[in-house]
Amino acid sequence: MFNETVLKEIEEIKAKYPERRSALLPSLYIAQREFGWLSHEAMECVSKALNVPEAMVRGTASFYSMYKHKPVGRHVIQLCTNISCMILGAEKLVDFIGTRYEVQPGGTSPDNRFSLVIMECIGACGTAPAMLVNTDFHENLSEKRIEEILDKYK
Amino acid sequence: MITLTINEKEVTLDKPVSVLEAARQAGIKIPTLCYHEALKPFGGCRLCVVEVERMPKLQTACTLMSADGMIVKTESEVISRVRRGILEFLLINHPLDCPYCDKAGECELQDLVNKYGPTVGRYKEEKRKVPESHKDHIFARNMERCVVCTRCVRMCNDVQGASAISMMGRGNHTRMEPFSADSFNCEYCGNCLTVCPVGAILSRLYIHSFRPWQVDSEVKTICSYCGVGCSLVAQVRDDSIKRVIPEMGLGVNKGLLCSRGRFGYEFINSRERLKTPLIRKKGRLEESTWSEALNLVAEKLSEIKKTEGGSAIAGIASPRCSNEDNYIFQKFMRMACGSNNIDSVSRTGFAAAQKYFEELMGQGITANIIEGLKNSEVIFVVGGDPTSVNPILGLSIREASRRGAKIVVLGNAKGLERFKNVQVIPPVFKEADALEELLAGVSGARGVRGEKPDIDRGISALSGKYSGKSDIGGLEELKNALLDSPSTAIVFGMDLVQRADGHRAIFAVAGLTYLLEARLYLLSEKPNEQGLIDAGCVPDMLPGARPLNIHDFKTKFETAWGGAIPDKNGMTLLEIIEGAKNRDIKALYIMGENPVFNLPDGPFVKEALGSLDFLVVQDIFTTETAEFADVVLPALGWSEKAGTYTNLERRIQLQKKAVNALSGMEDWKIITEVSCKMGYKMAYSEAEDIMDEIAEVSPLYRDLSYREIGKGNCLWPYHGEPLRGEIHELPAMAESSSGNYGADFYLALEKPLFHSGTLSRRSPALMKICPEPTLKISSAAAEKLRLQEGDRVQVSTSVGSVEVAVSIDESIKDNKVLLSNNFEGKGVFSLLTYKLDPVTKAPGIEGCEVRIEKL
Repeated sequence: MFNETVLKEIEEIKAKYPERRSALLPSLYIAQREFGWLSHEAMECVSKALNVPEAMVRGTASFYSMYKHKPVGRHVIQLCTNISCMILGAEKLVDFIGTRYEVQPGGTSPDNRFSLVIMECIGACGTAPAMLVNTDFHENLSEKRIEEILDKYK
Repeated sequence: MITLTINEKEVTLDKPVSVLEAARQAGIKIPTLCYHEALKPFGGCRLCVVEVERMPKLQTACTLMSADGMIVKTESEVISRVRRGILEFLLINHPLDCPYCDKAGECELQDLVNKYGPTVGRYKEEKRKVPESHKDHIFARNMERCVVCTRCVRMCNDVQGASAISMMGRGNHTRMEPFSADSFNCEYCGNCLTVCPVGAILSRLYIHSFRPWQVDSEVKTICSYCGVGCSLVAQVRDDSIKRVIPEMGLGVNKGLLCSRGRFGYEFINSRERLKTPLIRKKGRLEESTWSEALNLVAEKLSEIKKTEGGSAIAGIASPRCSNEDNYIFQKFMRMACGSNNIDSVSRTGFAAAQKYFEELMGQGITANIIEGLKNSEVIFVVGGDPTSVNPILGLSIREASRRGAKIVVLGNAKGLERFKNVQVIPPVFKEADALEELLAGVSGARGVRGEKPDIDRGISALSGKYSGKSDIGGLEELKNALLDSPSTAIVFGMDLVQRADGHRAIFAVAGLTYLLEARLYLLSEKPNEQGLIDAGCVPDMLPGARPLNIHDFKTKFETAWGGAIPDKNGMTLLEIIEGAKNRDIKALYIMGENPVFNLPDGPFVKEALGSLDFLVVQDIFTTETAEFADVVLPALGWSEKAGTYTNLERRIQLQKKAVNALSGMEDWKIITEVSCKMGYKMAYSEAEDIMDEIAEVSPLYRDLSYREIGKGNCLWPYHGEPLRGEIHELPAMAESSSGNYGADFYLALEKPLFHSGTLSRRSPALMKICPEPTLKISSAAAEKLRLQEGDRVQVSTSVGSVEVAVSIDESIKDNKVLLSNNFEGKGVFSLLTYKLDPVTKAPGIEGCEVRIEKL
């Protein structure tokens, strides 16, 4: 269940819209923040807090790829493999991350430290290859740089 | 007036409609897939594209409104090419498993591809693979076949209002799923089945068992479960019902059904059906022949009539039987047995309330059309959840809410949780006070109406009683909602009738109806509760609700029936039971009813039935009551016989015969045979003959015939003359209950959506949806008792105890715990005692204080 503070936060969001349903997306982000991902329980909580049917909550949540639909590690790496990044060796970086941190695309490392998501273009073609770690932006990647960067995320 | 040209044909419209609808009116068919007449236009499939002059691109006819001077072409080379293209895209993922798919033959996609092509697909890659899901007991979900028209989801959200399914995922991976992804856990109305154009959602009741073109006959009939009387179509093959489907636009339900109506038909094939008459010999019920059984019944009843007089005989009629059955039953009781002791289990709710409402407000006060609910501005729901007692009526309330009507609720109504605007939950046993207080408040603002002096006097007496500020939260808001409303409907459930002071609640609701000029709807659990009263199965009224004590009416019926009707009003249901216990009643004839199970204080009822000299039970199953019988006579059930039923809005409808029964006789036929043997001759060859007689003798049904009923819209009073403005003096009202209601929990009756009792318990599909009763408790109660969903508990009252599983219900907000009365040995009534309401004679439930212990 959401605690009082979270419920209050959702109430504030609700107040911004004429319809409860409109508060779904921001409330789902809050649920994701609280539960780490959108579990059935998390979606039930949103459904109850907004009085929007559960199936509608899940239908909406499942449409968007930026919600997490399965448990993720402490840090989420989002690596681009579109054309510019690919030409500059992004696919090798996927393999590197895979062996060095034991995490495959779409998966989570056994120590729960990293999840790896292959992204479509993140608009950094001029400084490719590029990735996002959580909400931080990193570009001009190489195996060495990735190691340096990811060491900071424990 | 709008005039447009479609395919060079001029079409004139009274009001603007979509081009699709305009074409339909002109007899031009435009292909569709995502469009459905029960749903709002969606414009998703693009198959209905048309060419419109001076519009640059093809337009979707379902979403385009017709305009004056429009020139539309629905078929052209370009349009055909586009439609072929769309279908080719759909077939990329749709498997070509028609020979295996149940939908083949009635599949819209199959028909469209057949007409518009393509004959060969160009797509060579792998199709989407999703295994068919059988994780739900009722629905098989095959998402490979889904064409994402979203008709099921729109039906579930916009019409049914259950919102149990949604389109999940995106793009190629979009699929329909319930929240849990496997079992549906929904209202199981099955309306998604009706609208699915392909074989993506199928009913597991008949999957792979027949083909749509193998149906021998289709019988348009009505449902046998509740008082709405929905129209449905029974599809028959090899003399057995293969499935029940609705027909769009037909009947009160207009193509919608609920779980009971759609899936509850299999009881007629139950192995527990009675096959031959049974006679008690040496303490045991043994198989016998019709002639032996009927002779014994006639002999015994004649003997008791002779030695003890007719008043020692009583009869219990059934709201599950037709008008014809019930008419014959009361005629038999009055003429052959010489007794007015006729009542039914409807006395525990509908019959008691209906009668008192009519006494107060005049005959016909409850005859309002369900469809009209949709046009109300405020709907006041009190005494039960309409969405479970009468699901299709409940849908009208939900629709009104979507239209912007205010839904105000007194008490719990789970199915309206997401639709209600104001809810007031009075303390247990204080509901009548809350209603009286509300009435006093409304009268304070509206003043005296002055049309019915008795009611005005009653209201002003209440106004003195409640003058201070209310301590029931929300009542003021509820009152203001009612006062602000230009058009009010009141939906009254039977929960508050089952109180020793139930007449107070009824008077208060009548008063509100009167002051607000509201339309009143009574929820009716059984299919013929109204017809039963109109047929005369009440102790004090003859057919057509003509009071027995008005001499002219009595004489008229005596002339028509050729004999004397006893003068004295008979006993009501519980008086009959008590009479049996006191040996005032020696013989009881029960037709299609199960009082042992359906009345409070089961042990007492059993004892009473045990004290009888002679008990006849006529039913389709060996019920708990039949166990006590001296003679059990097998009757016919729904779909095995014809008859008329009167629904809660007083619409008279024909229930038709669809299949031949293996055994049993029509209820009316059994009774006429007994009657003839007792010396009072009754001879009819068909149920239709009985209706002809009813139409002759009952002023309500004048000129009515099966032919007229078959045309539909036979609403009460059919050419008849209702008896308005009865002379009536207000009976003394009970005082406010002063009992000490300080217990932690109170047991109350739950009316579940999936069950009705004897019939539903023998319907495999309904048993799969809801296999056992659960004790519904609020989350606060669960916390207090440290209980979790599914925990088993012992529920005890002073009378007895029962072991059930717990289910947490967020819609319960007070200290009530709910248990249904549908499962043998696990019903709520067996745990409660009663006290008769002095005015309505309905049993007032008592002794509801319960202890709940975890096992």
